Amino acid sequence: MLAHIIQNLPQVLIDGLTLGVVYAVVAIGYTMVYGILELINFAHGDVFMTGAYIGATILFLLMGFGLLSSLPALIVFLIVIILAGTVTGMLGVGIERVAYRPLRRKNAPKLIALITSIGISFVLEDAVRFIAELKTGNYIITAPSMFNHKFNIDIHHVLPFFNNATFQASFLLVLVVTIIMLISLDLFVNKTKWGMAMRAVAQDRDTASLMTINVNRVISVTFFIGSALGGATGVLFMIQYGTINPYIGFILGIKAFTAAVLGGIGNIRGAMFGGVMLGLLEMFAAANLSIITNGAMGAEYKDVFAFIILILVLIFKPEGLFGKAVVEKV
Amino acid sequence: MNILEVKNLTKNFGGLTATSDITMNVEKNSITAVIGPNGAGKTTFFNMVTAVYKPTSGDILLNGKSLVGLKPHQVSQFGITRTFQNIRLFNEMTVLENVLVGMHQNLKSHWIGTLLQLPHIRKIEEAAKVEAYDILKYVGLEDYVNENAGNLAYGAQRRLEIGRAMAAKPKILLLDEPAAGMNPKETDRLTSLIHDLRTKLDVTIILIEHDMKLVMKISDYIYVLDHGELIASGKPDEIRTNKRVIEAYLGKGAVAND
Amino acid sequence: MSAFFGKLMQSKKNQIILFIAYVVLAGAGLFLLPDSTIAFLMLLFSILILYHLNFNLRAKWISGIVILAIIMPFIASQSDSYQTYMEVGTLVGIYCAMALGLNIVVGFAGLLDLGFIAFFAVGAYSYAIFASEQASKFMPFGHYPLPGGSFWIFIIVGAAVAALFGILLGVPVLRVRGDYLAIVTLGFGEIIRILLNNMDHPINITNGSMGIASITPPNFFGISIGSSSQFYYIVFGIFLVVIYVVRKLENSKLGRSWKAVRDNEIAAQAMGIPLVKTKLAAFAIGASFSGMMGVVFAAKQMFVDATSFTYLESTMVLVMVILGGMGSVPGVILGAGVVIILRTQVLTNISNWLSSISADYGISIPPAISPEKMQLLIFGLLLIIFALYRTQGLIPHKNRKVNVEVLKKESAEAALAREKATSGGADS
Repeated sequence: MLAHIIQNLPQVLIDGLTLGVVYAVVAIGYTMVYGILELINFAHGDVFMTGAYIGATILFLLMGFGLLSSLPALIVFLIVIILAGTVTGMLGVGIERVAYRPLRRKNAPKLIALITSIGISFVLEDAVRFIAELKTGNYIITAPSMFNHKFNIDIHHVLPFFNNATFQASFLLVLVVTIIMLISLDLFVNKTKWGMAMRAVAQDRDTASLMTINVNRVISVTFFIGSALGGATGVLFMIQYGTINPYIGFILGIKAFTAAVLGGIGNIRGAMFGGVMLGLLEMFAAANLSIITNGAMGAEYKDVFAFIILILVLIFKPEGLFGKAVVEKV
Repeated sequence: MNILEVKNLTKNFGGLTATSDITMNVEKNSITAVIGPNGAGKTTFFNMVTAVYKPTSGDILLNGKSLVGLKPHQVSQFGITRTFQNIRLFNEMTVLENVLVGMHQNLKSHWIGTLLQLPHIRKIEEAAKVEAYDILKYVGLEDYVNENAGNLAYGAQRRLEIGRAMAAKPKILLLDEPAAGMNPKETDRLTSLIHDLRTKLDVTIILIEHDMKLVMKISDYIYVLDHGELIASGKPDEIRTNKRVIEAYLGKGAVAND
Repeated sequence: MSAFFGKLMQSKKNQIILFIAYVVLAGAGLFLLPDSTIAFLMLLFSILILYHLNFNLRAKWISGIVILAIIMPFIASQSDSYQTYMEVGTLVGIYCAMALGLNIVVGFAGLLDLGFIAFFAVGAYSYAIFASEQASKFMPFGHYPLPGGSFWIFIIVGAAVAALFGILLGVPVLRVRGDYLAIVTLGFGEIIRILLNNMDHPINITNGSMGIASITPPNFFGISIGSSSQFYYIVFGIFLVVIYVVRKLENSKLGRSWKAVRDNEIAAQAMGIPLVKTKLAAFAIGASFSGMMGVVFAAKQMFVDATSFTYLESTMVLVMVILGGMGSVPGVILGAGVVIILRTQVLTNISNWLSSISADYGISIPPAISPEKMQLLIFGLLLIIFALYRTQGLIPHKNRKVNVEVLKKESAEAALAREKATSGGADS
């Protein structure tokens, strides 16, 4: 049994890392918004999904112009991801303006904001479904394949207790791009004036506003960055996995939120770590649950696995692995 | 006889010491004031007594029994009830319901009994309402019985909080800045209310207050905290002239120039 | 015009006359017009009018029950669409009870539960498994399916099992901070759904994605209950019980504890209310309503599988509560009615109408636009609009007012009695 598990490990690592970095970037969107507004933005997973659809649309448009074959793939990719990221970023800002800011002004209870975000999530899913179905007759979309060259890692030759593993060129792309996004975000938050303003607002909104920080502007910027990153990750997801539907954001969003909680909500580096860890754990579970339980449970339980991690973390270490415990003021 | 004994009570938040090594003895049926400048650790002290915070070290004894490690609702059931510095009413409930909630721990009515319409449960509920009404009359809110608590004026909210705490029939009543934000007239009314409470309910009162006039007028004994430490204790007259207390309030220079 | 109407409605007699006229009109419409959804809705709407009239409470209850239990079913039975109407009525009843259950959790106790449908599923499967061949696949003893008479016991069993699940979920989860609770319950709902979908191996308990078929219909003294018109009465009966329980609880010690916890956890604790126990009670009681209706649902459909218990369904129940008004019992009932009727009647009718237009006039209307498919959009928008602009819902919650005069009198009497007792004591 153990030998079996070890044999598969290289492939599990590759698949887990791919999924993990996707979770990591989406988790950042949750963690940033929660850090500032103490709101679980249920719509964030769907912003991710919208990003995937916008990316696919741009790809199809480029294909229509015949540019897909004439331009180098990397240029096409950059156009798609930057455009999609910008559009979803603006979408995020729009959502905040229309749905969350009025509630903030009214000092509405948290419950209400949560419910609004569920509403937004529904609306996004159906709007995308509607447009996709209207244009193509089917809301499930298979994107033109890119970066699908397959590589084989001949690790069995070097370390005979491992099986060989394969990955697509897109895996490298996902990895490199997410790492670039994560590093630039980290620099942005920790080294720039805007980043400092964001941290200040997250810590104490009232005091920050007394220090002449325009709180609403900072919140808008936060939504823009979180949503743009989420949308860009949607594009990566589409390229990596090929087929997308309007409902991919829901479960993925919850898992990304789990990752954010795992890393300590509000903690950006924690979210990155939590995402990668959850991706690895999930792929490990998907590959090995059936072996471990002797066929009683299969890969279909991998989502259950993620939820159980979420529940366990929230109960036993709600501040996450890297967060600080907060004491409520009485 | 001491009803409440606090022994070497210390609370650290991370590296920050909120209160350190506080020892107090509160006599039964007395009015004791805890005073001190902002950030002296007064509310932290209350929070430890009511088990909202767990002390880092030290002990709190009610009639000789330790309260440390209990849940907040258990402390309340043992007979310690409080009001809050930043008023915490049940805003979406009526004024009467707020007082009824205060009576809960003495109210022997079970929901299954309510569902079955048992006559004695109805009687208990009916009697509770009358009692709650009496309490509202006592704190001067009998005209707002059906109003939502959140809609009351500030001073009325403070009085409702006291009424709600009274309803619990506590042995010890903790009042956290009851006069904060009140105008002089309201404060006068409050002062006589607190005074009256002790005799009416046979209760021990501990209060945190910044209004020195009120404190000096009604307290039997005063404890003074500064930077988390107990710097003085004594009868009002002793505190009034205590050098360290004046220093704590006015700064060191104030005493030197005098 | 409106002034005239207002004057007209001032008199109680006029109100009664107009109300009866309205019911007769709607009833006649339902009786005379073939397949008249509008008349059917008008008749249901009379309950809402009834609620707003100023009759005394008992008269309102009796007229409401008479309309729903006698007039409506009788007139509908004369129509070709009898079973369709009763089917809608049954569904409304099922979801009303569920929404009232969720209202205890969300509206009274202030806990956002996004996996509420799981309790419905638990109830449905508990009857489905034992009232079909399914149980014989893993139970070492007993004869299955159980006879239809067991249905009545299973209503209680379903409630108990769902309450048990509520407690099992609640014990670990209720320690979690408020807004996390939403996502944890959502996860729990998904876990239950995935489990139901996969528990066909290693032991076949739920028959996996195949679902459980041929569930025995209930049996009432030898009569096998199979049609919607019969289920309607079962649901109506349970619904009345649920309303009774909710109304009583709302103003009981427990109900006040819920609201206290909702309004201010710290103050509630300081008044001696145990947080976890109080929240658990809300979870368990709310879940039990859902469990009961789950049993009815399984018996009515005679088939269950995990697709009936998705996140969408959980949110649908939440929409009912938000739409109607959190904490407001009449509001939540209205919300459940509106959502079910939108889903089963209005949207389907519009869809059919659109497709008939496209067939008759050769206009091509893309299937993507079909309102039946637009449910997510419609209900999402409803959630947003109500959360932003009408947080208190269609019928806002009102705290029950006590009669101050009575209190004043009783208080004076009590004071007099006390005085007598003390003076009497002094005399002796």
